Amino acid sequence: MKRVSALAGLAFAALVLQAAVARIVPPQWCPDLGLLVVIGLGLGMRKAATGVALAALVGYLSDLLSGSLLGQHMLLRMVAFAAARIGSRQLNLRGRAPLAIFAAGLSAGYGLALWAIVAFFARAAHPPLPAVGDFVAQAVVNGLLGPIVAPAVAWLSLTLGDEEGARLMRLEPRKFPA
Amino acid sequence: MRLPLLVAGLVAIATASMLADRRAQSEGTRDLPPWASPLLDLVVPLQKAIALPIDFVRHSWNGYIDLVDVGEENAQLEQRIHALEEENLQLREALVAGGRLARIAEMRADFEVPMLPAQLVGSDVSPFFRSVLVDRGRSQGVRSGMPVISEEGVVGLVTATSERASRTTLLLDRQTAIDGTVQRSRTRGIVRGRGSDVVEFEFVSRGADVAVGDVVITSGLDGVYPKGLRVGSVAAVAEADAGLLRAATLVPAVDFGRLEQAFVILRRGPSMELLYRTEGGDGEAQTAAAGSGPAK
Repeated sequence: MKRVSALAGLAFAALVLQAAVARIVPPQWCPDLGLLVVIGLGLGMRKAATGVALAALVGYLSDLLSGSLLGQHMLLRMVAFAAARIGSRQLNLRGRAPLAIFAAGLSAGYGLALWAIVAFFARAAHPPLPAVGDFVAQAVVNGLLGPIVAPAVAWLSLTLGDEEGARLMRLEPRKFPA
Repeated sequence: MRLPLLVAGLVAIATASMLADRRAQSEGTRDLPPWASPLLDLVVPLQKAIALPIDFVRHSWNGYIDLVDVGEENAQLEQRIHALEEENLQLREALVAGGRLARIAEMRADFEVPMLPAQLVGSDVSPFFRSVLVDRGRSQGVRSGMPVISEEGVVGLVTATSERASRTTLLLDRQTAIDGTVQRSRTRGIVRGRGSDVVEFEFVSRGADVAVGDVVITSGLDGVYPKGLRVGSVAAVAEADAGLLRAATLVPAVDFGRLEQAFVILRRGPSMELLYRTEGGDGEAQTAAAGSGPAK
Protein backbone atom coordinates (compact mmCIF):
# COMPACT_ATOMS: atom_id res chain seq x y z
CA MET A 1 0.00 0.00 0.00
CA LYS A 2 2.90 2.29 0.85
CA ARG A 3 4.41 1.67 -2.56
CA VAL A 4 1.14 2.21 -4.41
CA SER A 5 0.47 5.48 -2.55
CA ALA A 6 3.98 6.72 -3.19
CA LEU A 7 3.81 5.90 -6.89
CA ALA A 8 0.36 7.49 -7.23
CA GLY A 9 1.69 10.59 -5.48
CA LEU A 10 4.71 10.64 -7.77
CA ALA A 11 2.50 10.39 -10.86
CA PHE A 12 0.25 13.19 -9.59
CA ALA A 13 3.25 15.42 -8.87
CA ALA A 14 4.69 14.65 -12.32
CA LEU A 15 1.46 15.68 -14.04
CA VAL A 16 1.09 18.89 -12.03
CA LEU A 17 4.70 19.78 -12.81
CA GLN A 18 4.19 18.95 -16.47
CA ALA A 19 1.10 21.19 -16.71
CA ALA A 20 3.04 24.07 -15.15
CA VAL A 21 6.08 23.57 -17.37
CA ALA A 22 3.86 23.32 -20.45
CA ARG A 23 3.14 27.04 -20.07
CA ILE A 24 6.67 27.94 -21.04
CA VAL A 25 7.66 25.09 -23.35
CA PRO A 26 6.13 24.62 -26.82
CA PRO A 27 3.53 21.81 -26.46
CA GLN A 28 5.19 19.38 -28.83
CA TRP A 29 8.50 19.72 -26.95
CA CYS A 30 6.94 19.23 -23.54
CA PRO A 31 7.69 15.69 -22.27
CA ASP A 32 4.77 13.43 -21.46
CA LEU A 33 5.83 12.61 -17.93
CA GLY A 34 2.63 10.65 -17.30
CA LEU A 35 3.47 8.30 -20.14
CA LEU A 36 7.06 7.90 -18.95
CA VAL A 37 5.85 7.08 -15.44
CA VAL A 38 3.54 4.44 -16.89
CA ILE A 39 6.42 2.97 -18.92
CA GLY A 40 8.42 2.82 -15.68
CA LEU A 41 5.54 1.01 -14.00
CA GLY A 42 5.37 -1.45 -16.88
CA LEU A 43 9.07 -2.14 -16.54
CA GLY A 44 9.25 -2.34 -12.76
CA MET A 45 6.00 -3.53 -11.27
CA ARG A 46 5.72 -7.20 -10.50
CA LYS A 47 2.01 -7.34 -9.90
CA ALA A 48 0.28 -6.57 -13.14
CA ALA A 49 -3.02 -5.84 -11.39
CA THR A 50 -1.48 -3.09 -9.25
CA GLY A 51 0.39 -1.71 -12.24
CA VAL A 52 -2.62 -1.54 -14.51
CA ALA A 53 -4.71 0.10 -11.77
CA LEU A 54 -1.98 2.71 -11.26
CA ALA A 55 -1.75 3.27 -15.02
CA ALA A 56 -5.50 3.82 -15.16
CA LEU A 57 -5.26 6.29 -12.28
CA VAL A 58 -2.45 8.20 -14.00
CA GLY A 59 -4.57 8.22 -17.15
CA TYR A 60 -7.62 9.56 -15.39
CA LEU A 61 -5.56 12.34 -13.79
CA SER A 62 -4.18 13.15 -17.24
CA ASP A 63 -7.74 13.36 -18.56
CA LEU A 64 -8.61 15.88 -15.86
CA LEU A 65 -5.66 18.06 -16.85
CA SER A 66 -6.14 17.73 -20.58
CA GLY A 67 -8.65 18.72 -23.23
CA SER A 68 -9.22 15.06 -24.06
CA LEU A 69 -12.38 13.12 -23.39
CA LEU A 70 -12.58 11.76 -19.86
CA GLY A 71 -11.38 8.17 -20.12
CA GLN A 72 -9.28 8.64 -23.23
CA HIS A 73 -5.89 8.83 -21.53
CA MET A 74 -7.11 6.28 -18.98
CA LEU A 75 -7.63 3.69 -21.70
CA LEU A 76 -4.43 4.47 -23.54
CA ARG A 77 -2.25 4.55 -20.42
CA MET A 78 -3.40 1.01 -19.68
CA VAL A 79 -2.45 0.01 -23.22
CA ALA A 80 0.93 1.74 -22.75
CA PHE A 81 1.44 -0.16 -19.49
CA ALA A 82 0.70 -3.45 -21.24
CA ALA A 83 3.05 -2.54 -24.08
CA ALA A 84 5.85 -1.67 -21.64
CA ARG A 85 5.30 -4.85 -19.65
CA ILE A 86 5.31 -7.04 -22.73
CA GLY A 87 8.24 -5.08 -24.13
CA SER A 88 10.28 -5.65 -20.99
CA ARG A 89 9.71 -9.39 -21.32
CA GLN A 90 10.18 -9.79 -25.05
CA LEU A 91 12.86 -7.20 -25.76
CA ASN A 92 16.27 -6.55 -24.35
CA LEU A 93 15.90 -3.04 -22.99
CA ARG A 94 19.35 -2.98 -21.46
CA GLY A 95 21.07 0.35 -21.82
CA ARG A 96 19.82 3.80 -22.60
CA ALA A 97 19.54 3.53 -26.36
CA PRO A 98 17.06 0.62 -26.49
CA LEU A 99 14.95 2.20 -23.77
CA ALA A 100 15.03 5.56 -25.55
CA ILE A 101 13.95 3.96 -28.82
CA PHE A 102 11.21 2.04 -27.03
CA ALA A 103 9.90 5.21 -25.27
CA ALA A 104 10.06 7.19 -28.53
CA GLY A 105 8.15 4.54 -30.46
CA LEU A 106 5.52 4.19 -27.78
CA SER A 107 5.17 7.96 -27.60
CA ALA A 108 4.53 8.26 -31.35
CA GLY A 109 2.01 5.41 -31.25
CA TYR A 110 0.32 7.01 -28.27
CA GLY A 111 -0.16 10.31 -30.11
CA LEU A 112 -1.62 8.55 -33.10
CA ALA A 113 -4.02 6.57 -30.93
CA LEU A 114 -5.16 9.76 -29.17
CA TRP A 115 -5.98 11.35 -32.50
CA ALA A 116 -7.76 8.19 -33.71
CA ILE A 117 -10.07 8.21 -30.69
CA VAL A 118 -10.88 11.92 -31.12
CA ALA A 119 -11.57 11.32 -34.81
CA PHE A 120 -13.79 8.33 -33.95
CA PHE A 121 -15.90 10.38 -31.55
CA ALA A 122 -16.04 13.52 -33.72
CA ARG A 123 -19.54 13.94 -35.09
CA ALA A 124 -18.81 16.33 -37.93
CA ALA A 125 -15.56 16.76 -39.82
CA HIS A 126 -12.60 14.80 -38.50
CA PRO A 127 -10.05 16.92 -36.70
CA PRO A 128 -6.84 17.36 -38.69
CA LEU A 129 -4.09 14.84 -38.02
CA PRO A 130 -1.23 16.35 -36.05
CA ALA A 131 1.78 17.29 -38.12
CA VAL A 132 4.51 14.69 -38.50
CA GLY A 133 6.84 17.17 -36.83
CA ASP A 134 4.71 17.10 -33.68
CA PHE A 135 4.95 13.31 -33.48
CA VAL A 136 8.68 13.44 -34.09
CA ALA A 137 9.24 16.16 -31.49
CA GLN A 138 7.26 14.25 -28.90
CA ALA A 139 9.07 11.02 -29.72
CA VAL A 140 12.46 12.75 -29.45
CA VAL A 141 11.79 14.48 -26.14
CA ASN A 142 10.19 11.39 -24.59
CA GLY A 143 12.96 9.24 -26.00
CA LEU A 144 15.55 11.50 -24.37
CA LEU A 145 13.83 11.53 -20.99
CA GLY A 146 12.58 7.94 -21.09
CA PRO A 147 15.89 6.38 -20.01
CA ILE A 148 15.95 8.72 -17.01
CA VAL A 149 12.34 8.79 -15.80
CA ALA A 150 11.25 5.21 -16.51
CA PRO A 151 14.17 3.47 -14.69
CA ALA A 152 13.74 5.94 -11.80
CA VAL A 153 10.10 4.91 -11.43
CA ALA A 154 11.06 1.25 -11.77
CA TRP A 155 13.78 1.75 -9.15
CA LEU A 156 11.29 3.47 -6.83
CA SER A 157 8.89 0.59 -7.12
CA LEU A 158 11.76 -1.74 -6.24
CA THR A 159 13.01 0.36 -3.34
CA LEU A 160 9.60 0.76 -1.82
CA GLY A 161 8.74 -2.82 -2.66
CA ASP A 162 8.49 -4.12 0.87
CA GLU A 163 6.03 -6.64 -0.43
CA GLU A 164 6.64 -8.91 -3.39
CA GLY A 165 5.25 -6.25 -5.70
CA ALA A 166 8.35 -5.22 -7.55
CA ARG A 167 10.39 -7.15 -10.02
CA LEU A 168 13.75 -6.56 -11.55
CA MET A 169 13.84 -5.21 -15.04
CA ARG A 170 15.32 -7.60 -17.52
CA LEU A 171 18.61 -5.88 -17.97
CA GLU A 172 20.85 -8.83 -18.69
CA PRO A 173 20.81 -10.52 -22.08
CA ARG A 174 19.57 -14.08 -22.13
CA LYS A 175 22.20 -16.75 -21.81
CA PHE A 176 21.79 -19.85 -23.84
CA PRO A 177 23.65 -23.09 -23.16
CA ALA A 178 26.61 -23.67 -25.42
CA MET B 1 -8.69 -14.54 -13.07
CA ARG B 2 -8.48 -11.36 -11.03
CA LEU B 3 -6.40 -9.50 -13.60
CA PRO B 4 -8.69 -10.02 -16.63
CA LEU B 5 -11.68 -8.94 -14.54
CA LEU B 6 -9.86 -5.83 -13.35
CA VAL B 7 -8.73 -4.92 -16.86
CA ALA B 8 -12.19 -5.51 -18.29
CA GLY B 9 -13.71 -3.36 -15.55
CA LEU B 10 -11.25 -0.51 -16.08
CA VAL B 11 -11.67 -0.62 -19.86
CA ALA B 12 -15.45 -0.53 -19.40
CA ILE B 13 -15.14 2.47 -17.06
CA ALA B 14 -12.88 4.29 -19.52
CA THR B 15 -15.19 3.62 -22.46
CA ALA B 16 -18.30 4.62 -20.52
CA SER B 17 -16.54 7.80 -19.37
CA MET B 18 -15.66 8.71 -22.96
CA LEU B 19 -19.20 8.13 -24.18
CA ALA B 20 -20.72 10.09 -21.31
CA ASP B 21 -18.22 12.92 -21.76
CA ARG B 22 -18.85 13.10 -25.50
CA ARG B 23 -22.56 13.32 -24.86
CA ALA B 24 -22.11 15.99 -22.20
CA GLN B 25 -19.84 17.95 -24.56
CA SER B 26 -22.41 18.00 -27.32
CA GLU B 27 -25.12 19.03 -24.86
CA GLY B 28 -23.02 21.79 -23.34
CA THR B 29 -23.45 20.37 -19.84
CA ARG B 30 -19.95 19.23 -19.20
CA ASP B 31 -19.42 19.64 -15.49
CA LEU B 32 -16.90 17.29 -13.97
CA PRO B 33 -18.26 14.37 -11.94
CA PRO B 34 -18.35 14.90 -8.14
CA TRP B 35 -15.40 12.58 -7.49
CA ALA B 36 -13.18 14.32 -10.06
CA SER B 37 -14.00 17.89 -9.12
CA PRO B 38 -11.99 18.00 -5.84
CA LEU B 39 -8.92 16.66 -7.66
CA LEU B 40 -9.00 19.53 -10.11
CA ASP B 41 -9.58 21.98 -7.25
CA LEU B 42 -6.52 20.53 -5.55
CA VAL B 43 -4.40 21.01 -8.65
CA VAL B 44 -5.03 24.76 -8.97
CA PRO B 45 -3.21 25.96 -5.82
CA LEU B 46 -0.38 23.52 -6.50
CA GLN B 47 0.07 24.78 -10.01
CA LYS B 48 -0.11 28.37 -8.84
CA ALA B 49 2.72 27.61 -6.43
CA ILE B 50 4.79 25.94 -9.14
CA ALA B 51 4.01 28.73 -11.60
CA LEU B 52 5.28 31.45 -9.23
CA PRO B 53 9.02 30.93 -9.87
CA ILE B 54 8.35 30.20 -13.55
CA ASP B 55 6.41 33.44 -13.94
CA PHE B 56 9.04 35.33 -11.96
CA VAL B 57 11.78 34.18 -14.33
CA ARG B 58 9.65 34.91 -17.36
CA HIS B 59 8.70 38.38 -16.15
CA SER B 60 12.28 39.13 -15.27
CA TRP B 61 13.41 38.05 -18.70
CA ASN B 62 10.71 39.92 -20.59
CA GLY B 63 10.73 43.01 -18.37
CA TYR B 64 14.39 43.54 -17.62
CA ILE B 65 16.64 41.52 -19.89
CA ASP B 66 15.03 40.98 -23.27
CA LEU B 67 14.61 44.69 -24.07
CA VAL B 68 16.69 44.92 -27.21
CA ASP B 69 13.95 46.13 -29.55
CA VAL B 70 11.83 48.00 -27.03
CA GLY B 71 12.96 51.52 -28.01
CA GLU B 72 12.21 50.99 -31.66
CA GLU B 73 8.92 49.25 -30.88
CA ASN B 74 7.93 52.12 -28.58
CA ALA B 75 8.46 54.68 -31.31
CA GLN B 76 6.39 52.60 -33.73
CA LEU B 77 3.59 52.23 -31.19
CA GLU B 78 3.54 55.96 -30.49
CA GLN B 79 3.15 56.61 -34.20
CA ARG B 80 0.38 54.09 -34.35
CA ILE B 81 -1.43 55.62 -31.38
CA HIS B 82 -1.35 59.03 -33.05
CA ALA B 83 -2.75 57.54 -36.25
CA LEU B 84 -5.50 55.71 -34.38
CA GLU B 85 -6.41 58.79 -32.34
CA GLU B 86 -6.76 60.73 -35.53
CA GLU B 87 -8.90 58.00 -37.07
CA ASN B 88 -11.01 57.75 -33.92
CA LEU B 89 -11.64 61.47 -33.97
CA GLN B 90 -12.77 61.38 -37.58
CA LEU B 91 -15.11 58.45 -36.92
CA ARG B 92 -16.64 60.18 -33.91
CA GLU B 93 -17.19 63.29 -35.97
CA ALA B 94 -18.93 61.22 -38.61
CA LEU B 95 -21.16 59.59 -35.99
CA VAL B 96 -22.05 62.87 -34.35
CA ALA B 97 -22.87 64.30 -37.74
CA GLY B 98 -25.22 61.39 -38.35
CA GLY B 99 -26.84 61.80 -34.92
CA ARG B 100 -26.06 58.20 -34.07
CA LEU B 101 -23.58 58.54 -31.23
CA ALA B 102 -26.20 58.93 -28.48
CA ARG B 103 -28.16 55.95 -29.78
CA ILE B 104 -25.04 53.80 -29.87
CA ALA B 105 -24.22 54.81 -26.29
CA GLU B 106 -27.69 53.67 -25.22
CA MET B 107 -27.35 50.38 -27.05
CA ARG B 108 -23.93 49.72 -25.59
CA ALA B 109 -25.36 49.41 -22.10
CA ASP B 110 -27.57 46.59 -23.34
CA PHE B 111 -24.64 44.67 -24.78
CA GLU B 112 -22.36 44.94 -21.79
CA VAL B 113 -21.91 41.58 -20.18
CA PRO B 114 -20.39 40.73 -16.81
CA MET B 115 -16.85 39.43 -17.15
CA LEU B 116 -14.82 37.59 -14.58
CA PRO B 117 -11.03 37.91 -14.58
CA ALA B 118 -9.32 34.54 -14.38
CA GLN B 119 -5.72 33.46 -14.09
CA LEU B 120 -4.29 30.72 -16.27
CA VAL B 121 -2.55 28.28 -13.99
CA GLY B 122 -1.60 25.38 -16.22
CA SER B 123 -1.51 24.15 -19.77
CA ASP B 124 -2.67 20.88 -21.24
CA VAL B 125 -0.62 17.87 -20.17
CA SER B 126 -1.05 16.37 -23.62
CA PRO B 127 0.66 18.07 -26.56
CA PHE B 128 -2.10 16.91 -28.88
CA PHE B 129 -4.77 19.03 -27.20
CA ARG B 130 -4.72 22.76 -26.55
CA SER B 131 -6.48 23.72 -23.37
CA VAL B 132 -5.66 25.62 -20.20
CA LEU B 133 -6.73 25.39 -16.59
CA VAL B 134 -8.08 28.59 -15.05
CA ASP B 135 -8.61 29.37 -11.39
CA ARG B 136 -12.33 30.14 -11.56
CA GLY B 137 -15.08 27.58 -11.30
CA ARG B 138 -18.73 26.96 -10.57
CA SER B 139 -18.61 28.78 -7.24
CA GLN B 140 -17.78 31.99 -9.13
CA GLY B 141 -20.55 31.44 -11.67
CA VAL B 142 -18.47 29.86 -14.44
CA ARG B 143 -20.29 27.23 -16.51
CA SER B 144 -19.43 25.09 -19.52
CA GLY B 145 -20.09 26.91 -22.77
CA MET B 146 -19.03 30.36 -21.59
CA PRO B 147 -16.64 32.21 -23.90
CA VAL B 148 -13.22 33.25 -22.64
CA ILE B 149 -11.52 36.32 -24.07
CA SER B 150 -8.58 38.57 -23.40
CA GLU B 151 -8.03 42.21 -24.25
CA GLU B 152 -6.51 40.98 -27.53
CA GLY B 153 -9.38 38.76 -28.68
CA VAL B 154 -10.89 35.28 -28.49
CA VAL B 155 -9.14 32.82 -26.18
CA GLY B 156 -11.53 29.86 -26.20
CA LEU B 157 -14.49 28.25 -24.54
CA VAL B 158 -15.03 26.80 -21.06
CA THR B 159 -15.49 23.07 -21.59
CA ALA B 160 -15.34 21.61 -18.09
CA THR B 161 -15.86 23.04 -14.64
CA SER B 162 -15.24 22.06 -11.05
CA GLU B 163 -16.12 24.01 -7.93
CA ARG B 164 -13.09 26.31 -8.02
CA ALA B 165 -11.47 25.66 -11.39
CA SER B 166 -12.38 25.19 -15.00
CA ARG B 167 -10.78 24.05 -18.19
CA THR B 168 -10.85 26.22 -21.29
CA THR B 169 -10.38 24.69 -24.71
CA LEU B 170 -8.33 27.16 -26.70
CA LEU B 171 -9.04 28.55 -30.14
CA LEU B 172 -5.98 26.57 -31.30
CA ASP B 173 -7.43 23.15 -30.42
CA ARG B 174 -8.35 20.83 -33.26
CA GLN B 175 -11.88 20.49 -31.93
CA THR B 176 -12.58 24.23 -31.98
CA ALA B 177 -14.74 25.87 -34.66
CA ILE B 178 -15.98 29.47 -34.62
CA ASP B 179 -18.14 31.35 -37.09
CA GLY B 180 -16.07 34.30 -38.30
CA THR B 181 -16.28 37.27 -40.63
CA VAL B 182 -13.63 39.22 -42.45
CA GLN B 183 -13.99 42.71 -41.01
CA ARG B 184 -13.22 44.51 -44.28
CA SER B 185 -15.20 42.52 -46.84
CA ARG B 186 -17.74 40.78 -44.53
CA THR B 187 -16.84 37.41 -46.07
CA ARG B 188 -18.07 34.72 -43.71
CA GLY B 189 -16.38 31.45 -42.87
CA ILE B 190 -15.45 28.99 -40.19
CA VAL B 191 -12.33 29.39 -38.07
CA ARG B 192 -10.90 26.01 -37.11
CA GLY B 193 -8.05 25.19 -34.76
CA ARG B 194 -5.26 23.05 -36.17
CA GLY B 195 -3.46 22.15 -32.99
CA SER B 196 -0.59 24.45 -33.94
CA ASP B 197 0.07 28.14 -33.32
CA VAL B 198 -2.02 29.21 -36.32
CA VAL B 199 -5.66 28.54 -37.19
CA GLU B 200 -7.52 27.99 -40.42
CA PHE B 201 -10.27 30.16 -41.89
CA GLU B 202 -12.43 28.19 -44.29
CA PHE B 203 -14.76 30.12 -46.55
CA VAL B 204 -16.84 29.65 -49.68
CA SER B 205 -14.66 30.43 -52.64
CA ARG B 206 -17.22 32.04 -54.90
CA GLY B 207 -17.38 35.81 -54.53
CA ALA B 208 -15.09 35.77 -51.51
CA ASP B 209 -12.76 38.66 -50.85
CA VAL B 210 -10.05 37.66 -48.42
CA ALA B 211 -6.57 39.15 -48.53
CA VAL B 212 -3.42 38.91 -46.46
CA GLY B 213 -3.62 41.30 -43.53
CA ASP B 214 -7.41 41.18 -43.23
CA VAL B 215 -8.74 40.98 -39.70
CA VAL B 216 -11.23 38.22 -38.90
CA ILE B 217 -13.76 38.83 -36.14
CA THR B 218 -16.50 36.69 -34.62
CA SER B 219 -19.76 36.92 -36.52
CA GLY B 220 -21.94 36.07 -33.52
CA LEU B 221 -23.91 33.68 -35.71
CA ASP B 222 -22.65 30.54 -34.00
CA GLY B 223 -24.63 31.59 -30.95
CA VAL B 224 -21.66 31.05 -28.68
CA TYR B 225 -19.30 34.01 -29.06
CA PRO B 226 -20.56 37.60 -29.04
CA LYS B 227 -20.21 39.45 -32.32
CA GLY B 228 -17.16 41.55 -33.08
CA LEU B 229 -14.44 39.86 -31.04
CA ARG B 230 -11.08 39.79 -32.76
CA VAL B 231 -10.04 36.28 -33.80
CA GLY B 232 -6.91 36.86 -35.86
CA SER B 233 -5.41 38.28 -39.01
CA VAL B 234 -4.92 36.58 -42.36
CA ALA B 235 -1.33 35.49 -42.94
CA ALA B 236 -1.81 33.50 -46.15
CA VAL B 237 -4.61 32.61 -48.52
CA ALA B 238 -4.68 29.35 -50.45
CA GLU B 239 -4.82 29.58 -54.24
CA ALA B 240 -8.31 29.32 -55.69
CA ASP B 241 -9.00 25.99 -57.36
CA ALA B 242 -12.05 24.20 -58.68
CA GLY B 243 -13.29 23.38 -55.17
CA LEU B 244 -16.15 25.07 -53.41
CA LEU B 245 -14.18 25.96 -50.32
CA ARG B 246 -10.94 27.84 -49.82
CA ALA B 247 -8.84 28.25 -46.75
CA ALA B 248 -6.73 31.00 -45.30
CA THR B 249 -4.21 30.78 -42.51
CA LEU B 250 -4.83 33.09 -39.58
CA VAL B 251 -2.43 34.27 -36.93
CA PRO B 252 -4.52 34.44 -33.73
CA ALA B 253 -5.00 37.87 -32.21
CA VAL B 254 -4.10 36.45 -28.80
CA ASP B 255 -0.49 35.59 -28.09
CA PHE B 256 -1.14 32.28 -26.36
CA GLY B 257 2.51 31.87 -25.42
CA ARG B 258 2.34 34.93 -23.17
CA LEU B 259 -1.24 34.70 -22.03
CA GLU B 260 -1.52 34.79 -18.25
CA GLN B 261 -4.89 36.34 -17.57
CA ALA B 262 -8.20 36.15 -19.37
CA PHE B 263 -11.84 37.06 -18.82
CA VAL B 264 -14.74 34.63 -18.68
CA ILE B 265 -17.88 36.13 -20.17
CA LEU B 266 -20.47 35.14 -17.59
CA ARG B 267 -23.18 34.58 -20.11
CA ARG B 268 -23.57 31.64 -22.40
CA GLY B 269 -24.48 32.33 -25.98
CA PRO B 270 -28.07 31.70 -27.14
CA SER B 271 -27.15 28.30 -28.64
CA MET B 272 -25.73 27.03 -25.38
CA GLU B 273 -28.76 28.28 -23.46
CA LEU B 274 -31.02 26.56 -25.93
CA LEU B 275 -29.15 23.29 -25.43
CA TYR B 276 -29.55 23.62 -21.68
CA ARG B 277 -33.24 24.20 -22.02
CA THR B 278 -34.09 21.48 -24.51
CA GLU B 279 -31.65 18.65 -23.93
CA GLY B 280 -31.50 18.44 -20.19
CA GLY B 281 -28.75 19.57 -17.85
CA ASP B 282 -29.12 20.01 -14.16
CA GLY B 283 -31.97 21.90 -12.58
CA GLU B 284 -29.80 24.80 -11.59
CA ALA B 285 -28.68 25.31 -15.16
CA GLN B 286 -32.23 25.16 -16.46
CA THR B 287 -33.42 27.65 -13.89
CA ALA B 288 -30.54 29.97 -14.66
CA ALA B 289 -31.29 29.74 -18.35
CA ALA B 290 -34.96 30.40 -17.85
CA GLY B 291 -34.26 33.40 -15.66
CA SER B 292 -31.60 34.96 -17.83
CA GLY B 293 -32.54 37.91 -19.91
CA PRO B 294 -30.21 40.34 -21.58
CA ALA B 295 -27.23 40.65 -19.28
CA LYS B 296 -26.56 44.06 -17.90
